Amino acid sequence: MQSFGGAVMALYRGFATTLQFAFQKKPTVQYPSVRKQHAPRFHGLHELRRYADGKERCIGCELCAIACPANAITVIGAENAPDDRRSPGERFAGRYEIDELRCIFCGLCEEACPTDAIVLTPRFEMADYRRGSFIYSKDRLLVPPDAGVGAPPDERPGGIPADLGWVTEQKSTVDIARGYDATYNGAKLKDEHKGLTLQ
Amino acid sequence: MTEAGPPQSVSLTIDGTPVTVPAGTLVVEAAKTVDTDVPVYCYHPKLGPAGLCRICLVEIERLPKLQIACNTPVAEGMVVHTHGQKVEDGRRAVMEFLLLNHPLDCPICDKGGECDLQDFSMAYGQGASRLADAKASKPKALDLGPTIVLDDERCIVCQRCTRFDDIITRERSLVVKDRGQRDVIATASGEPYRSNFSGNVTELCPVGALTSKTYRFKSRPWDNHRTATTCTQCSVGCQLFVDERYGTIARTMSVPSDDAISDGWLCDRGRYNIGFYADARRITAPLLRRGEQYVQIGWDDAVEAWAAGLRDALGAAGPQAVGVLGGGRLLNEEIVLLVALMQELGVTNLDWRAGRQRQATPGRYAGTYAELEAAQLILAVGRPPSQTAPVLDLRIRKAVSQRGARYVTYGGHAAGSFVGVTPLRSADDVENVLSGVERVAVVWDGIDLELGARLASAIDGWVARGVSVTTYLSGEANNARGAEALGMVPRSGGLPFTGMLDAAQNGRLRSLSIFGANPVLHHPLGGASVANALERIPFLVVSELFLTETAQRAHLILPARTGFEKAGHVINLAGDVLPVHQAHAAPPGTLADGDMLVALAAELAAEVPGPEDVLARATAALPAATHGFGDAAYSEGVTASKSDGMAAGKPGGGGLRIAVGSDIFAGGGTIWFDETLAELRPDPAATLSPATAARLDVHIGDRLDLLSSSGDDSLQGLVVRIDAGAPDDVVAVIDGLPEAPANSFADGDNVVLGARRAADALEPALVLP
Ligand code: SF4
Ligand code: SF4
Ligand code: SF4
Ligand code: SF4
Ligand code: FES
Repeated sequence: MQSFGGAVMALYRGFATTLQFAFQKKPTVQYPSVRKQHAPRFHGLHELRRYADGKERCIGCELCAIACPANAITVIGAENAPDDRRSPGERFAGRYEIDELRCIFCGLCEEACPTDAIVLTPRFEMADYRRGSFIYSKDRLLVPPDAGVGAPPDERPGGIPADLGWVTEQKSTVDIARGYDATYNGAKLKDEHKGLTLQ
Repeated sequence: MTEAGPPQSVSLTIDGTPVTVPAGTLVVEAAKTVDTDVPVYCYHPKLGPAGLCRICLVEIERLPKLQIACNTPVAEGMVVHTHGQKVEDGRRAVMEFLLLNHPLDCPICDKGGECDLQDFSMAYGQGASRLADAKASKPKALDLGPTIVLDDERCIVCQRCTRFDDIITRERSLVVKDRGQRDVIATASGEPYRSNFSGNVTELCPVGALTSKTYRFKSRPWDNHRTATTCTQCSVGCQLFVDERYGTIARTMSVPSDDAISDGWLCDRGRYNIGFYADARRITAPLLRRGEQYVQIGWDDAVEAWAAGLRDALGAAGPQAVGVLGGGRLLNEEIVLLVALMQELGVTNLDWRAGRQRQATPGRYAGTYAELEAAQLILAVGRPPSQTAPVLDLRIRKAVSQRGARYVTYGGHAAGSFVGVTPLRSADDVENVLSGVERVAVVWDGIDLELGARLASAIDGWVARGVSVTTYLSGEANNARGAEALGMVPRSGGLPFTGMLDAAQNGRLRSLSIFGANPVLHHPLGGASVANALERIPFLVVSELFLTETAQRAHLILPARTGFEKAGHVINLAGDVLPVHQAHAAPPGTLADGDMLVALAAELAAEVPGPEDVLARATAALPAATHGFGDAAYSEGVTASKSDGMAAGKPGGGGLRIAVGSDIFAGGGTIWFDETLAELRPDPAATLSPATAARLDVHIGDRLDLLSSSGDDSLQGLVVRIDAGAPDDVVAVIDGLPEAPANSFADGDNVVLGARRAADALEPALVLP
């Protein structure tokens, strides 16, 4: 059985804790005008990256599609035309689609990708009114041509990129704070639609 | 095992399990009996051992070194270990060597997911290379020919492809060029690799070095939904797998266990002619003629119009004024329904003979493919099967090259078989080659009935002498044997198709329904007269995939389904009843011919058999036939061709005679409407012997016109080819080409040269800068 003095002390400590938080900085922020920094390993919306020379990293190998436990990815390979090379080597993704409603953001596609093409960025804001608009295809997943990173593998098709180490660290190759929707292209499209232009 | 004497068997122990196999069996085959996996690359049961890759190493007790299982025959008391530390070390060393310069670019490799090198790398590879220097860099995506691409970096030089081209097809165009690290698969001549069987090398290649252009990067093995079905492109009936992905047919593959029919191979027609079903020109709604135009109508209206047309014709002139032509696209079930419905309506004018082929059932001496392979003498009469039944021809090549058979032809066509062929010119020659022969296989093209009848009586004579004869009919229509067996022939007093055309000409035929046939392009009466007759029919219905020459004359066009889009059975030329399975969803708006017929029967309130009954009749074993080749029951007044006269080889002074042959890539239907195969379609060509070309003063590449001796028919703009093996005074042309339809010409017809343009007077195809 606790003594009376002990009970008062416990009350005091409880109220002191409460009082202490009343004077601390609040963790809630005025979203969307203020945004928080996510944990570095946060898994959000996908992005398809490019090499520094603008070529697509994705080679349409379908390894992400088979790795995906939610069956959210569809890839159909195609052959690079000699005068219109989309990726180093012979093969590129003729069609690349992710159904973000099926995606469970596990990041296994990122693990499977042999060229570090697909990454999950910290972007998470993809609310929309139609289910169909959650199927992201290359036009919304690919970063703009000038946002590529890393040297492409030597032009000998099938060469292995030399930069696998540091590129993996980078979560996105475009400014994450740009726009509120999805990827760079998606944001641009939406802003244009609203009569706004970026920058 | 205990007593001596053949057949001898040998007992040995593999992985601790005692097995007994025939003497001479290779260890790799013996190991298959005990459910253990010996990895192989270069060994293939149909190509035999080569001992090139060394991955099949096994340990055999009392032998100091590891041995290759694929080239070591079993011996009494042998004790074999297919696994274990020593074996695995050996295989790891071999793998390291094979991967020395291998790019391991599996993510962009079409073989990825079904690659032996990948699988055995997982099992025996060591994960990292010890090679300090860069791997050798070799050409990728080398164009080997119209169908195949070679990735030289991936080749492990197992030589399966070159051995296939040597041992199986006998064409011997693929070789390993250069040696060591620089070796590359190429044709010896440097020409593109062209073969009717080229696709098989992509399946044989254990790695992703040889890939099909049509399948490049289209899919991954795990994406494909596989259906086993029967190829419906010709009458051989090869079993094949159809791999479908997202509603498109990605590829077709052979069925390696199909020894009885295809022997595990496919021809390129069956393998690559898969693009037509999705062609934009496909008809996908019933079309009704209104004056000079077609209007799209619904199926209900189409069936109503069809029934009304038939009722009008029946009412006005009775069942004699109605005819039906059912082509090779029909499955057995559809034929049963069609025949039953026509019987119900009293229609007797039924036929399947839309082209030159007059007969499909070889009759009382019908043989199996195995018997063909075992024959000592193979006699091909008329058009040889190399272009009408390609995989059958592969079996002939096997009989000749591996089993010592002799191959002779009769009828003035080049055999095109790449094995030693003796062309015979007279009936006496045939009797001569027969002396001392016990097993003969006779392959006839079913075109010239009079020749067939003489052949039949000769065969009866041989049989009476105690020769064992098997007969085969390798015609041009695919399910012709099914059509004939299930009653798609003129019924009591009915007209054959030629008679129907005659009746149409005289205004006595008031309605004709054609299913999947194109007589305007193929019937020997010639395109103009057939079209003329068809245009006089007041109500012509054509069920087709595309707007063919025949469909363009129809009043009602019904959009049909392809052999990939419906299920049923067919009968191949050897008489096997084979299942066809639906491999892919049909385009909306189309109907299988069987479904159209059921709807028509309902509209006409006619009684047709139910599904069980249809299935039972469609799959019933063929009754034993009693007739022979060229039976009178099949004669129907088409002038017999003169191929036999040509074989006798006496051209009238300065005369030139025509030989009309087939080509597997010629035709006006599935081939013509398949853009992916454009490169494989033959040009309209006139092939001459060097002597004849010199006599006529024409040269390779010239364009010439051929006129029939009456001058009524002509073939225009044929490209001159010169073939050293061609007979003299004969000009060979290809049948069934929409650009130059040769169907009005018969073998042996005299022809005269029309206008010609020398090659150097033509527009240049290429000008060097
Ligand atoms: S994103 Fe990566 S894993 Fe997916 S298809 Fe492209 S290259 Fe392959
Ligand atoms: S051949 Fe096999 S091991 Fe080589 S790249 Fe292709 S899939 Fe990979
Ligand atoms: S191309 Fe393929 S089949 Fe031919 S030798 Fe090379 S690995 Fe063997
Ligand atoms: S031989 Fe005939 S059945 Fe066999 S694959 Fe070729 S076309 Fe098809
Ligand atoms: S499989 Fe035995 S050496 Fe190649």
